[in-house]
Amino acid sequence: MNSDVKTIFSSYHNNAQLFDEVFDSNGVAKNVYQKLLDLYGNHSIQEYVQLNNKAKASFFNQGITFQVYDNKVTQEKIFPFDLFPRIIDEDEWEIIEKGAIQRSKALNLFLWDIYHDKKIIKDGIVPLDLISSSANYLHQMIGVDPPGGIYNHISGTDIIKHSDGHYYVLEDNIRCPSGVSYVICNRTALKRALFGVFNHYKTHSVTNYAENLLEILESVKPKGVDVPNCVVLTPGMYNSAFYEHSYLAKAMGVELVEGRDLFVENDFVYMKTIRGPIKVDVIYRRVDDLYMDPLEFKPESALGVPGLFAAYRKGNVCLANAPGTGVADDKAIYTYMPQIIKYYLDETPILNNVHTYHCSRPDELKYVLEHIHELVIKPVDEAGGYGISIGNRLTKDEIKVVQEEIKQNPRKYIAQPIMSLSVHPTYIDESESFEQRHVDLRTFTLLGHEKEFVLKGGLSRVALKRGNLIVNSSQGGGSKDTWVLKK
Amino acid sequence: MSLEYSITYNAENEYENPVENASWQFLIVPENNDTQELLHVDIKNSLGAKNEFSENGYGFRTVRINTWEKFQKLNIRATFKLKKKSFNPFGQVPIFDIVSNYELVQSLDFKVDFEPFLGQTKFTTLPQGSINLFVFDTALSIFDNLLTLNTWIYQFIKFNTGVTHVNTLLEEVLENPEGVCQDFAHLFCALARANKIPTRYVCGYLHQGNGYFGDSQMHAWVETYVPQVGWVGFDPTNNLLVDDNHIKVAHGKDFNDCSPLKGVVYSYGANKTSHNVEIQAQQ
Repeated sequence: MNSDVKTIFSSYHNNAQLFDEVFDSNGVAKNVYQKLLDLYGNHSIQEYVQLNNKAKASFFNQGITFQVYDNKVTQEKIFPFDLFPRIIDEDEWEIIEKGAIQRSKALNLFLWDIYHDKKIIKDGIVPLDLISSSANYLHQMIGVDPPGGIYNHISGTDIIKHSDGHYYVLEDNIRCPSGVSYVICNRTALKRALFGVFNHYKTHSVTNYAENLLEILESVKPKGVDVPNCVVLTPGMYNSAFYEHSYLAKAMGVELVEGRDLFVENDFVYMKTIRGPIKVDVIYRRVDDLYMDPLEFKPESALGVPGLFAAYRKGNVCLANAPGTGVADDKAIYTYMPQIIKYYLDETPILNNVHTYHCSRPDELKYVLEHIHELVIKPVDEAGGYGISIGNRLTKDEIKVVQEEIKQNPRKYIAQPIMSLSVHPTYIDESESFEQRHVDLRTFTLLGHEKEFVLKGGLSRVALKRGNLIVNSSQGGGSKDTWVLKK
Repeated sequence: MSLEYSITYNAENEYENPVENASWQFLIVPENNDTQELLHVDIKNSLGAKNEFSENGYGFRTVRINTWEKFQKLNIRATFKLKKKSFNPFGQVPIFDIVSNYELVQSLDFKVDFEPFLGQTKFTTLPQGSINLFVFDTALSIFDNLLTLNTWIYQFIKFNTGVTHVNTLLEEVLENPEGVCQDFAHLFCALARANKIPTRYVCGYLHQGNGYFGDSQMHAWVETYVPQVGWVGFDPTNNLLVDDNHIKVAHGKDFNDCSPLKGVVYSYGANKTSHNVEIQAQQ
C-alpha cells in the first residue's frame, strides 16, 4: 500500500479499555467486518469524505431533518450520518429479536392487566404507587378493550452492547417511538453512495417496515370493518418527527392527516376530503395522549379531534398505540420488567435489564445519594435524553445540586450503574478521521392481532462527542446504517 | 312513592366575532340508576345543529354539538323528565363492624380496586400542613366520621358566590374559607381520601324544595364508599345526606371530569356564557 495515501483507518486509535465492535484488542478486525474493511480500506480518507458529504447533502435536500428543542431557539438539523455501517450477525440478531418480542408481549399483557383486573398489583409484584402516581395512567382507559387486544402496536426498544459482550435493554419506548424513517433513509443513502459493498454481504432489507406496519394496523381494525381505512395522524409540520410521519404515510400508501382534517359524528371518525367525508377505521397517531381529544383531555389542544376518545371507547376506531400505553414506558416500570416477563409469560428475560435503583425506596435512595459519582441519574418520565446526569462527569457542586433535586422528589428519579457501551468506528468531521464512539441500538417491534414483526435492522445511534454516553438525536447524537446478516 | 321532576337547562353563548367552527360537549343528562329513571329527553339548539348523544371517558351520557356554519350566538335548551324514588338515606344504615371496616380500607385489594377515587388530583390536593386537618376517630364508624366531616365542612366554608371560580384550588379555599358547592365538594373529597375513604365528585341538579322553583345552577356533592353499605352521597354545601332532591348527572375524580360544558371554538375575541337551571316537582 502506498504510504503517502492516508487510508480511512490508518490513524484509528484503538483504546483497549473500550469494547470495540469492529477491532479486537490487537487491532485485528472481527470476522464479519473483514470483507468490509477490505472494501473500504482501498479508499483514501479524502474519497470517503467526499462521498460522506454528498450523502449528507442529500438528506438536507430531501428535507430529512429534525428539530432540537432548547429554551430559546429551535434548530432544524440533519441527523448526522456516516457511511461506515454497523453489522450484527445472525446469531446475535436472533437473541435481540426474540428478546424484543418477548418484552413487547409482556408489556401488552401488563397493560391489559393494569387497565382491567390489576392482578399483578394485587399479587404484590408491582407496587400500586407506580400506577397511582403516574401521570400516564389514564383512568378513562380502565375497562376499555382495545381492538385486537393490543396496546403497544409499535415499540422502540433501546439496547446496548456492554463491554461484557452481552446486550442490555436501556428502555422500552411505547408512546410514539420515532426513528424508523432514519433507518430506511440511512440504508438508501448508503446504497446510493456505496452500492458495491452490498454485493459482498447478504443483508436483510429494511424497506419492508412500512408494509408490515400497515398489516399490523389492519389486523387491529374495529369489529365489523372489512377493509379498514388507515391514516397517520401528525401534530403537524412543526413537530420534530414530521418527516417520519410523512414518510410512513407515503410508504404505506395512506393519508397523512392533522387533527383538523378529521371530525367525529355519531362516534365514528371521518376524514374531510374534496369528495366528501370518508370513514377512518385505524389511526396511527403520533399525537400524545393528552392532546388527541380536547373534549376529553387538555381542552386547549389544537392538535386533536373533538370526540375522538368517545369513538375509541365505543370501539369504532382503533388508535395505535392505545391511549394510556405510556404508563408502561415509565422508567420506574422498566425496573420491574424481569418480574413482569416472569409473571405473564412464565419465562426468563432473554435480554438483560440494567440494574436499577429506585429513589422512591429509602434504602436505595441512601445508596444513590452516596454513590452519585458512579451512577447515571434519570428522571422517570422524560424522553429524548433530557434531564439525565452522568455521575462521573459532574463537579462536586453539580453533585450537590443533583442530590438536592433527588431529595425533593425521589419518585421522579431512578439511578443505574454507568454502563460501558460498546464503541464503533465513527467518522468525526473535526479530526477528519475515524474515532471510537459509543453506540446503542433502537429496535422497532410491531405487535398486532396474532402477528408480530421486528425490523431486521434498527437505528444505531452514535454519541458524537468523545466519551459521551447519551446517544439521543436531540442531544447531538448521530446514526449509522445497521445491517442484520442473513443466515 | 316516587316523585316526578321536570328539569330545564338553558345555556346561552355569545361571541364577539363570528365563530367558524365549534364543538361542544354537554354533560347535563341525568343518569339512570337505582334511584332515578330518565323518562324523556328533549334538546334544542338555536342553530338547528344535530344533537349527538355519546359518552364521556367514564361512561356518562354526553350531548355533542358540532357546527359548520358561521354564527355569533348559540342557545341550548334541554328539558328532562325524570322519576325519582323517594328514600330515606338513614334507612339503610347497618350495624357497623368498625374494626374490620378500617382493616378493609387499609387492604391492598381495596386500595387497588378504588384507586381512581383515592388519589389526589389538582383540585383535591391539600396544601402541605393541612393533610391532618380532619383525622377520623377510629373508635367511631366510617359512616359517623363522614357525617361529622360533612357538618365540619358545612360550618368551615361560608357559602358565598363570586369569591371562587371554576379553577379555584383548595389552597385558596383554606386561606379564605368562602365558596360554592364545587369548593365544598373538593374539600370533602380531599379530606375523606386523606382518611383512605374512596370518594367521588358528583355533579347534578338539586331540587330546592316543593313549590319552590327559580333560577339556579348545577349542583355538586360527593359519594363515598362505605364498607357494608356501598356508595353513599353527602352534600356538604347543605349539611345533608343525599336524598330524593338530588338528581345525579355524573361523577368523576373532581370537577374536571364533571364539567357541564366543554367546548372547542375556532374564533377570537371575547365571549359571554350563561346558564340556568329550573326544576319542578310533581308528586
